[in-house]
Amino acid sequence: MNKADIPFLSATALGALIRKKELSPLEAAEAYLDRIEAVDGVLHSYITVCREEALQAAREAEQAIVRGDYRGALHGVPVAVKDQFWTKGVRTTGGSRILADFLPNEDATVVARLKQAGAILLGKLNMSEFATGNSVVHPYGMPHNPWDPGRNPGTSSSGSGAATAACLCATSLGEDTGGSIRNPANNCGLVGLRPTWGLVSRYGMLGASWSMDIAGPISRTVEDCAVTLQAIAGHDPRDPYTANRPVPDYRAGLTGQVRGLRIGVVKEAMNADFLHPQVKATVGKAIADLGKLGVSVEEVSIPLLDRAAAVTRAILAVESAAIHHDWLRTRLQDYDHNVQIDFLTGGIMPAQLYYKAQQLRELTRRQVLKALEAMDVLALPSSSEPAALLPTAPGLKSKEKARQRMSGRRSLTGVFNLANVPALSVPCGFAAVEGKDLPIGLQLAGRPFADGLLLKVAHAYEQSTPWHTRRPPI
Amino acid sequence: MADLSKDELKTLGRAVGIEIEEPLLTEVAYNLNALRDLLEDVNPPGLVQVEPLPIIPPHERSPHEQG
Repeated sequence: MNKADIPFLSATALGALIRKKELSPLEAAEAYLDRIEAVDGVLHSYITVCREEALQAAREAEQAIVRGDYRGALHGVPVAVKDQFWTKGVRTTGGSRILADFLPNEDATVVARLKQAGAILLGKLNMSEFATGNSVVHPYGMPHNPWDPGRNPGTSSSGSGAATAACLCATSLGEDTGGSIRNPANNCGLVGLRPTWGLVSRYGMLGASWSMDIAGPISRTVEDCAVTLQAIAGHDPRDPYTANRPVPDYRAGLTGQVRGLRIGVVKEAMNADFLHPQVKATVGKAIADLGKLGVSVEEVSIPLLDRAAAVTRAILAVESAAIHHDWLRTRLQDYDHNVQIDFLTGGIMPAQLYYKAQQLRELTRRQVLKALEAMDVLALPSSSEPAALLPTAPGLKSKEKARQRMSGRRSLTGVFNLANVPALSVPCGFAAVEGKDLPIGLQLAGRPFADGLLLKVAHAYEQSTPWHTRRPPI
Repeated sequence: MADLSKDELKTLGRAVGIEIEEPLLTEVAYNLNALRDLLEDVNPPGLVQVEPLPIIPPHERSPHEQG
């Protein structure tokens, strides 16, 4: 195989070649590092590339595999993680100049588990400052969308989306507080899973909202997503909220057998007046295609869906401000302008407002779980529109603008963060916008710990459609 | 509900040890008052009876889990 073609393999296909010793981990790492050097000057998807560390880890993986110490599907496979996760001896910035010199003295649990699985860490990926999803200035370079460099790759796991879509890593980790995995997956034509809250450890992850944050995979295929989740899922004594329960074999669950499942189409999302017409048509067709695979399709209701963005914003603002309280007093000017506004807002929000947001959250959760009583999976668009143009000007010009930003016109993801259930975005087509093809995502959500079922349904859909085979023009 | 004034916002800030000055103060006022409006408008039935327990680790097994 031509070395330059290696990065275009799926993670599982690459892992299979490595397992059969038809390709060495060192060749794979070198191929990815070469491509990062050639392409990432345009995309700015990486904040830090760990070239020497990756090559050393690849040599060690090669030696281990030769002596028969094979660790599984990710052994020798080059991966990258959002710069929100601690990496021992490698700076972890959170996308902020405040942490420009932060060198953790240990790995986040998810990073440690990827390494235990034999994955090769290529580097740390760009992101919105402290995962708020609202920053304009990116101190380590503005991340661009590989499908159209003038557009946003999605927030806040921007680099995870851009790098994975551009084949600058085989698979990646992002973090999702209000949609920060599914939004880049939507914008970049990828599979992104926000796992059930409690399935994946938060230890060593820079926090945005303690009650909604969770790490998860962003990958080019559902199978890659499954093996990446497999590596990081499971109880961690250092995160007391991780569930102490067996982790299923997610890859083995990708059987294609979905006949008889019930899918609930969320009517408040599909009938929303703000839905881009091409998104509505494309997601509608995707749901019809699922029906052809033997699932039954019915309409369900989540009445609070259109308020989820505001509720999410209120909770995120308060919990972020609590994390950043000391720096808000001493280093306010070092934050992006929009982040300053959001954190200050959270810092002074009246307690009764936050309390009401929590009550609305619980009601929202009940509505989601009620919809899932009769249905196995919920379906709706991942976003109301394809990737937007890159942001240029920070700031709020009026209260009405602030209200528009928070009123959920673009966010269809936060409702599942409030409910702490798993949700996934899988590519389901493209919108033609100003001469460019921009990806559209189908969002699937499920009951707590039904992550495997979401992967199964997404895989069956993916394998019956061509969308995952298309690559961005870069 | 009337908007919070800038002076009131500055006072809220001082109560938690944060000084908010212009030009940020104007934008914080837009942001917080917009959020108050949005949440004030939402009053679904049964809201006041809801106990806001944001984190309930869902330890029940899903019938669709594999393995």
